[in-house]
Amino acid sequence: MIRALVTRLTAALLACWIVLTAVFFLLRLLPGEPGAVFEDPRVPQEHRARLRAVYGLDRTLPEQYLRWIGGVARGEWGYSLSQHRPVGQILRESAPKTLLLSSAALVLELGLGLALGVAAASRAGTFADRAMRVLSITLWSLPTFWFGLMLLAAFAVAWPLFPPGAMRSVDADGFGLGRRAVDLLWHLALPAAAIGLPAAAATARFVRSTVLERLAEPFVQSARARGLSPHRVLWSHALRAGLAPLAQLAGLSLAALLSGTIAVEVVFAWPGIGRTTFDALVARDYPLLLAGTALSAAFVLAGSFLAEALQAWLDPRLRDA
Amino acid sequence: MVSSLAAAALACGGGTAGTPSPPPPTVAVGATISDLSGVNELLAADIQFTTDILDQLFVQLLSEQADFTEHPPTFAPELALGYDWSEDHRGLTFHLREDAVWSDGVPITAEDVRWTWQAQTSPEIAWTYADMKDAITDVEVVDAHTVRFHFREAYSTQLLDAIEGKILPKHAWEQIPFSAWRQRADWFRDHLVTSGPFVLGAWRPGEEIVLERNERYFDRTKPKLDRVVFRIAPDAAGHTEQLLAGTLDFACGITPADALRIAPRKDLRVVAFDNRQYDFVCWNTLRPPFDDADIRRALTLAIDRQALVDTLFKTYARVASSPIPSTFWAHDPNLRPLPYDPAEARRILAMKGFSDSDGDGIVERQGRPFSFELTTNSSNRNRSAAVVMIQEQLRKVGIAATARTIEIHALSDANRKHDFDATISGWAIDTTLDLTPYFHSSESAGGYNIGSYQSLEADRLLEAARRAETPQAALPDLLRLQQVLHADQPFTFLWEPQRLCGVRTDLIDVQPNAISAYFNLPDWQRRARPDRR
Repeated sequence: MIRALVTRLTAALLACWIVLTAVFFLLRLLPGEPGAVFEDPRVPQEHRARLRAVYGLDRTLPEQYLRWIGGVARGEWGYSLSQHRPVGQILRESAPKTLLLSSAALVLELGLGLALGVAAASRAGTFADRAMRVLSITLWSLPTFWFGLMLLAAFAVAWPLFPPGAMRSVDADGFGLGRRAVDLLWHLALPAAAIGLPAAAATARFVRSTVLERLAEPFVQSARARGLSPHRVLWSHALRAGLAPLAQLAGLSLAALLSGTIAVEVVFAWPGIGRTTFDALVARDYPLLLAGTALSAAFVLAGSFLAEALQAWLDPRLRDA
Repeated sequence: MVSSLAAAALACGGGTAGTPSPPPPTVAVGATISDLSGVNELLAADIQFTTDILDQLFVQLLSEQADFTEHPPTFAPELALGYDWSEDHRGLTFHLREDAVWSDGVPITAEDVRWTWQAQTSPEIAWTYADMKDAITDVEVVDAHTVRFHFREAYSTQLLDAIEGKILPKHAWEQIPFSAWRQRADWFRDHLVTSGPFVLGAWRPGEEIVLERNERYFDRTKPKLDRVVFRIAPDAAGHTEQLLAGTLDFACGITPADALRIAPRKDLRVVAFDNRQYDFVCWNTLRPPFDDADIRRALTLAIDRQALVDTLFKTYARVASSPIPSTFWAHDPNLRPLPYDPAEARRILAMKGFSDSDGDGIVERQGRPFSFELTTNSSNRNRSAAVVMIQEQLRKVGIAATARTIEIHALSDANRKHDFDATISGWAIDTTLDLTPYFHSSESAGGYNIGSYQSLEADRLLEAARRAETPQAALPDLLRLQQVLHADQPFTFLWEPQRLCGVRTDLIDVQPNAISAYFNLPDWQRRARPDRR
């Protein structure tokens, strides 16, 4: 088991390095200069040359790469060309906000997806089941950006139950701890729903089909024959047997949610890593863009690793695979 | 004596029933698509919003006014109460006010002004606008409140060049050498000392910027609001939704379509104001047939610019005719935009040897169809729509334009290398009206003259306007220059857009102008106590 995990961890780190290296060199293929000051004809050439030296952009590409990857290995991400402060500091500020949003969306996805999926499986073929399937395929097929805008228009403008953006009220500094937490949840609701509901729809479909498969298996038939209640057969046998793929789905979902927050962070003005990376892309802020991409890649790989580890833990047949 | 004490008691709000509770702070909440890019003007990215905020945090010697419709801009006293010129017009002396202090209580002196100039011109800092200080040979401290600028020569924009830039706090910021500034920009945020009507109450990157009343500002009557909050929301469409939802008091940069949604609301109003910007199609004169002024004229005649304005901007723009917008004192009033005249365009094309010999609807010359690529930046919705509309309009005179939208950096890169046929872009010009960077032939290599426009007469007029001793003296050259550009059509000038703000009606005295949307922010007031949020 440990050997398998170490192997997977090594593979994840290798994949992370490949992603970082590819992004580093691909970014340099883009036309245009990094940072606005290098593109401005008003800034004399000699000034620009001096600034290139300050930021290490006067070195050859392999040199820049070695310096950068060496810094990353030491936990130094460089200096943002657009925000003019250490990249590590920017990431420390924005990453927890994305993790919070993604975690809330994951809770929504798994909670709602599991409940709806099991409910639909237990009522397979009924009107409720068909309605759930239509609803879930509709939700699943909606673009996140558009769905977020629709939620905003409906529940923040037409029916103003939630704030239309940001992660705190203007006067939140004066709130007590409890009220601040409520304020945060209030601001979290719509962006988490924008990410979590379509994901919950997909999870519900997955859970439904997994549970239906398990319900048809002999050990479940046997449990039924032993006179166990349908409720117990459903939750203790069919669902439990389907936990391994579900755990893998949860890990992969976390990765997908983390990497899919950019659009929602932009729509709801949520100051997370997705928006930071998007802004860095617009500003051609190479150090920040690389770090944001690296962090997103690390999140995705960590999610995948977590999924595999969970599946291996739940399914002994996979431990030594 | 008695009356003085009574007056003092009244001024302090004293009364017989004990100390009354202070009034609640007056707050206005707005939105911005971009974050503050720094608190040190010399390092911050050249973004309008950052300039707007730094205008509220730092004073300049004089404040340029937006009254340049009828005459060159005038200047209101700010840190300097007045100025005078030497006889040869190469010495400019400013007399600083003695009651101005930094937010930490240290007086603002001539030493700050001299040190600011040294920082502005330091090659290690490489300030974007350092070229405006090229003709200043020294800044002399005459005494604590008198400072003299020495110029290499007399020219028309000396005063503007001298006052350009915020005055920086020497006592607080000289602790780190200029050579370290570029890599320690966050240090200035941690050691922020300001001088303007507001101080930076809070800055949560990506979230919000809070400006608070500077109690040490020399004009004790301003600002009238205690706090102004800018919430950072990169999606401009969301600003309108927030205005409509009642969670914002103001948002500048809304679209004409959004303005139509806001206009019917009784609790909101739309404030439209002139801009210093214009958009244009730039023809690459290095590539035939755009090297021919008659062909460029035919292209302009074939583009229905009024239709573009009506469709894209509703009533919030006008057709442009010159690189000096019609709201400037030096705009040539006799210059009329070329009309939409496809018949005349066809006639010129035929005269130049273009005809549709194979009947495919596209004109050819020497067997080569008149086709080209029209590019613009994908992030600009109006320009992206315009390239498609222009493509359709040119088709009617037999020209095959291919519309292509490109990411802004890639587009800028291609434009700098003159690797384009025609491109839609825009300039926001400053009040010096120095058009040299855009049209002088020397600016073709690495400058803003991306279309490589070459004209000996235009070069001569640009140089003469720059050499004129006063802005008024440059007027004849600027008028003639506009005529030359009108005849040569290196650009097809498209539109001069207005900027639009959505503002809550209980927020009063909001008067944005062409210099800044927040030009008179210290004068903004609330009509009633805020009760939302």
